[in-house]
Amino acid sequence: MLLSGKVAVITGCNRGIGKAITTVFAKQGANIIACARKSTVEFESYLTNLQNETGVQITPVYFDISKEDEVKLAIKEIRKLFPTIDILVNNAGIAGDTIYQMTAMETLEEKMKVNFYGPFLLTQYIVKLMRKSTAASIVNITSIAADDSYKGMISYTVSKAAFNAFTKTVANELGSANIRVNAIAPGFTETDMVSNAVTNEEFLTQLQSHLALKRLARPEEIANSVLFLASDLSSYITGQILRVDGGFFND
Amino acid sequence: MNNLNKYKDVFKECFNVTEDQLNETLVYNSIEEWDSVGHMAMVAELEDVFDIMLETDDVIEFSSYTIGIEILKKYDVEV
Repeated sequence: MLLSGKVAVITGCNRGIGKAITTVFAKQGANIIACARKSTVEFESYLTNLQNETGVQITPVYFDISKEDEVKLAIKEIRKLFPTIDILVNNAGIAGDTIYQMTAMETLEEKMKVNFYGPFLLTQYIVKLMRKSTAASIVNITSIAADDSYKGMISYTVSKAAFNAFTKTVANELGSANIRVNAIAPGFTETDMVSNAVTNEEFLTQLQSHLALKRLARPEEIANSVLFLASDLSSYITGQILRVDGGFFND
Repeated sequence: MNNLNKYKDVFKECFNVTEDQLNETLVYNSIEEWDSVGHMAMVAELEDVFDIMLETDDVIEFSSYTIGIEILKKYDVEV
């Protein structure tokens, strides 16, 4: 198993790509701190079943990543559970958007807090717990939207572009501490986030016609890419943004 | 071991310094070992030794051996 004995912190575990990453990591032997904003019966049941199925330790930690105080409390809880962390997956994020000229500063701030400031702060503290790891890896989930242009996605795009820049700079700074930092930039994926944010069916149909693979990504396909960057298979890769987009060619 | 000796040991271990170097002249970047990477290692070691979590503002402010002693007081660690 690729992650046997490793300890992974994953944010946004309760749905979509985060849930798929949690499943894939557990099946690969990682003990997991499964972060989500709030507890639900469904989420707790999913974690219990996954733990029973795989035999790894899965511990939920609940906090709102946009709130600095909650992030700091969560870190203290995580540190008590596992003083050494090997893997951090910054997956939690929000979409939903407006066109630039109709974007209130509150909308931009909300996206930045969840998609960038929160992971920025969380990573700062988790890095300190990675010091004793022999093979530490941080994987940020950004988006192809950070590089491509999509009308009406200004605040989401800007927040993810910041996250890409963060990935490269932090990789450069932490390389000497043997901590790798990379990002997965998923294309449009079959998740609630996409179906809620993209209500224009025609857009999705047209989009798929431009994809070499002619379909949206499945969450587990994104999760497998995260697994690669989190595991020692990618031990000489850092500071990279890997597009997992089904081959997006605008022809 | 008392807190002062624990504090000194962290500096000796992280920065490879001797007892006579542990004074007010030991500041961030004053020796090769106390660079940004060494700083984070020292902070992490202090957190382990005293079972605390330094706020980022305090990590930034922790610019010398003597200032560190004052910062630790905020976390109820008397050195």
